[in-house]
Amino acid sequence: MLRSSAAGCWWRPFAEVAEAAVFLIDLAPHGQHEAEALEWLSGEERARSRRFVRAGPRRRFALCRAALRAVLCHRLGCDSQQLTFGTSSHGKPFAEVDETPEPISFNVSHGRSHGLIAVAARGRLGVDIEERRARDDLEDLTDALLGPNEKREFALLRGNARTHYFFRMWTLKEALIKALGLGFSQDPAEFEVPLAVRQGARTGTFRFPSRPRAVWRVDDLGTEDFAAALALETMAQPRQSSDG
Amino acid sequence: MASTQDRLRTLVAENLEVDGKPVEVPADLNVSLSDAGVPSMDFVAFAKVIVREFDVPLTPDECADFSTLKDLAAYIDSQAA
Repeated sequence: MLRSSAAGCWWRPFAEVAEAAVFLIDLAPHGQHEAEALEWLSGEERARSRRFVRAGPRRRFALCRAALRAVLCHRLGCDSQQLTFGTSSHGKPFAEVDETPEPISFNVSHGRSHGLIAVAARGRLGVDIEERRARDDLEDLTDALLGPNEKREFALLRGNARTHYFFRMWTLKEALIKALGLGFSQDPAEFEVPLAVRQGARTGTFRFPSRPRAVWRVDDLGTEDFAAALALETMAQPRQSSDG
Repeated sequence: MASTQDRLRTLVAENLEVDGKPVEVPADLNVSLSDAGVPSMDFVAFAKVIVREFDVPLTPDECADFSTLKDLAAYIDSQAA
């Protein structure tokens, strides 16, 4: 079983939402953690790590993937060597033990300094985390990524409130998109976060306008240090046709 | 008029950064935005910039399918042809 040694783990339990457990990953530079993480990766994962041009993305990938391996191996009762990852047609990974797909559901996200892992026994889920920071291009990003009502609400805000609103909306949207599992074929500007959540509620329910049969629970997991969100599929009515 | 590769390089410089630094793009554009470490939020917004600047059909997913910026430039040129 994977276990961080003298330096301790770089991930820890962060939240439990319904049947999902969320872990927070510390992505700060740390030579011992990075060396240990690389040892846990498969040859293919180490090769992926080396393709990153810069040290920051390389470190984040290794620390997140090693933490994911530890969390999944603990849940699945397997060794890291038994665990491999397949990929759906839209790029969403799934776990295999001894080359047999496992129904366990998981998702990973990282910002610059923090990462999140969400895991549940079954059901689709998605997670996102971003460090809030002032950006000169915040209005351009809002224009590209938010829906009409969200843009209007953003326009009424000033200063830090704009930054907080944008990153809150984006993490909620990306968590939903990742949970849906169809990649960015779902345009984030073509749906909006539920009104109650936009107005400050920490949790709400959501349906994609184009795929209304699936019902999602969405939770704001943000703290003072970062914006973050989790989306979970809660129920699905009997389907007459595929709705994703 | 600037070539598609030159315009693409300029758009990357104007719109994308990683860890507060400009994305390093080699002269031959033989790099992927994923390998450069571009976050998904910026990636999605950048795909929309490409659509607007070059007037080509392109979803973020399709943009991610290109292995390198060089391949993306070739796609843009093929749409203009």
